[in-house]
Amino acid sequence: MVKARRRVVTNGGAPTKRRPTVRRIKSAILPATRRAVHGNGAGGPAPAERRTGPAAPTSPEREIDLAVDLGRGLRLENPILVASGTFGYGVEYGDVVDVQRLGAICCKGTTLRSRVGNPTPRVTETPGGMLNSIGLQNPGVDAVIDKYAATWSGWRVPVIVNVAGESIADFTEVARRLDGQPGIAGIELNISCPNVGKGGIQFAIDAEAAAAVTAAVRRATDLPLLVKLSPNVADVRPIARAIADAGADALTAINTLSGIAVAPSRARPLLGNVYGGLSGPAIKPVALRIVYEVSQVVDIPVVAIGGVTELADVLDYLAVGAVAVQVGTAIFADPTLPARLVDELAAECRLRGLDGYRPLIGTALPKRAGPPSAKGVEYRP
Amino acid sequence: MQRTTLRRTTPATTATTAEPRARHVTTRTRDPSPSSARAPTLPPSSMRLAGAELIDSREILPGQWLQAFHAPELVAGARAGQFVHVRTGDYSGLVLRRPFSFNTIDPIAGTLTIHFRTIGRGTEWFTRLRPGDRVDMLGPLGRPFEVDPRTRHVLLVAGGLGIAGVRALADEAIRDGRQVTLLFGAARASEVYPSSLLPDEVEYVVATDDGSVGHHGFVTDLVPDYEAWADQAFACGPQPMLRALAGLAASRRSRLGVASLGRKRGAGRPIPAGSPQARRRAFLQVSMEQNMGCAVGACLGCVVMDTKGVPQRVCREGPVFASDEIAWEGGW
Repeated sequence: MVKARRRVVTNGGAPTKRRPTVRRIKSAILPATRRAVHGNGAGGPAPAERRTGPAAPTSPEREIDLAVDLGRGLRLENPILVASGTFGYGVEYGDVVDVQRLGAICCKGTTLRSRVGNPTPRVTETPGGMLNSIGLQNPGVDAVIDKYAATWSGWRVPVIVNVAGESIADFTEVARRLDGQPGIAGIELNISCPNVGKGGIQFAIDAEAAAAVTAAVRRATDLPLLVKLSPNVADVRPIARAIADAGADALTAINTLSGIAVAPSRARPLLGNVYGGLSGPAIKPVALRIVYEVSQVVDIPVVAIGGVTELADVLDYLAVGAVAVQVGTAIFADPTLPARLVDELAAECRLRGLDGYRPLIGTALPKRAGPPSAKGVEYRP
Repeated sequence: MQRTTLRRTTPATTATTAEPRARHVTTRTRDPSPSSARAPTLPPSSMRLAGAELIDSREILPGQWLQAFHAPELVAGARAGQFVHVRTGDYSGLVLRRPFSFNTIDPIAGTLTIHFRTIGRGTEWFTRLRPGDRVDMLGPLGRPFEVDPRTRHVLLVAGGLGIAGVRALADEAIRDGRQVTLLFGAARASEVYPSSLLPDEVEYVVATDDGSVGHHGFVTDLVPDYEAWADQAFACGPQPMLRALAGLAASRRSRLGVASLGRKRGAGRPIPAGSPQARRRAFLQVSMEQNMGCAVGACLGCVVMDTKGVPQRVCREGPVFASDEIAWEGGW
């Protein structure tokens, strides 16, 4: 089994427990000072405030280090992200959710040109989950930048734009237009949407195509690049390796599982698009399996997603090698869940007497010669 | 304590006085700048996440339930046509909240009622709630019915459970001194909404598909009798009913030759479609229904296609739309 010999370059601090086989690469790309992922200007003083502000007066307890580096300077304050398509553009929940407390926001799938999406009905509940077939409705990348980039650049929370397209040219053009825009901290390549006719899933089910689109986008932008894997494949490992080798900074696993529902009349399928993507607690075992498999064959960070509804789910995903998790469907029931998970994760670390959550990562993976990989987690020697 | 009681009593009185003032303001703001073509203003982000305590639960018709909740934070500022998104207690099986229109709103008592039919495991879960139980509600969501201040005669059209969508407007219109006629259609007599649950001032006309009570036929058959009387109409019900009503509304002026509201004032100035002003001028406003995910506009699950080919979110731009905003035939 050939491993993708890549590794996220961490904070530049002296790594103490690296496995000797791992090469350090791309150290030149990452500037010594962090890129302004937390917004220009406003991000400067913020970290200092964070470190001194809450720690001194409120908690006599230990400050827990939840920071995670997904590569190429995409540094998140905590490993709880909100998943693409479930949180709009970060503004919809208004005052109900304090978005600044999230690790990062993955915005709605964005394409080069505007899309009206699929016919309705587009969503339906299923046992322990839901099916959706929105069909990548979005106003197009230029409109998204016009409308939201200014807002995002004033936020402390990094916004990762989920990018979809029908062709490699589409993907690269969207990435090019996002490159250098203030307020955009990274790109998540959605090569695995099961709900669109052209350009959806076909990139994610073939290792060569996945690598080709990843490499093309890699050439087009210096933004941190996440690639979202599809579970609708026989073996995800060669695809994950190919994407990692092609230059992705991190992987997101997994997108929804393809499924259908039948209308109550039994006369036709329920969803307007017939096919939908299954999400929610029902898919967690599948997602766990894929994170478990993928995290053993790549050396870039894996961001887990699938049915996270409570802290135990987060800990499960960390145990199988994820460095961060995305919360999706559960937001619909409980919009305050992601921010609460951040607190609960910190409390859990405190309870276990840990300074950070790094020791929780990879504990359920098969034992290897070296210590559990802390892929992507920032080293603080 | 004194202050809260003072505030609670105000909405009933301010609402009547606020509307003529609002009209005055809109005419003034339209004049100075040509910015009237800007996008319709989104509802103020007044939605809140709050607990609600069940105080009454009754099966008013076979399989149809009326539940009253005490939720002062949600009721303050809520208007007819808006809705709440309610979380079930069984997250392991039921991952989505359930949207319910405000059936009645009582800002003084801080209570609201919802009216629903048991159609699945979620709604059945609600029927098992007992007084004192608490549920988690998100609201008020969506945009309300817009009644023109000059409207005297309000026609409400409801098909089946659509009554839940327009019921609160009957209260609001009567409170504002308007005359209200409610046309109600149901499959059979046993599904007709009890008149005892309506305000006395409402004229209540019933149609049933099997003729077991009232008019024998669709509720839309009754509409032509009231079309000339009504200044504005508001409807909620099955999609075919709304489509038929939209057809009637579109041809109303040519058939009846009646003056439509707002023709003199502001003639020639463009009013952006979908804005409160545009909806206030429409003869017919409809409350739409779609399967819903987040109910705040994030997931884009609950869209209807408008006449310009732009999907509109039922939870955010709706659920109330002017009938001429919607592409009734097809869309995609």
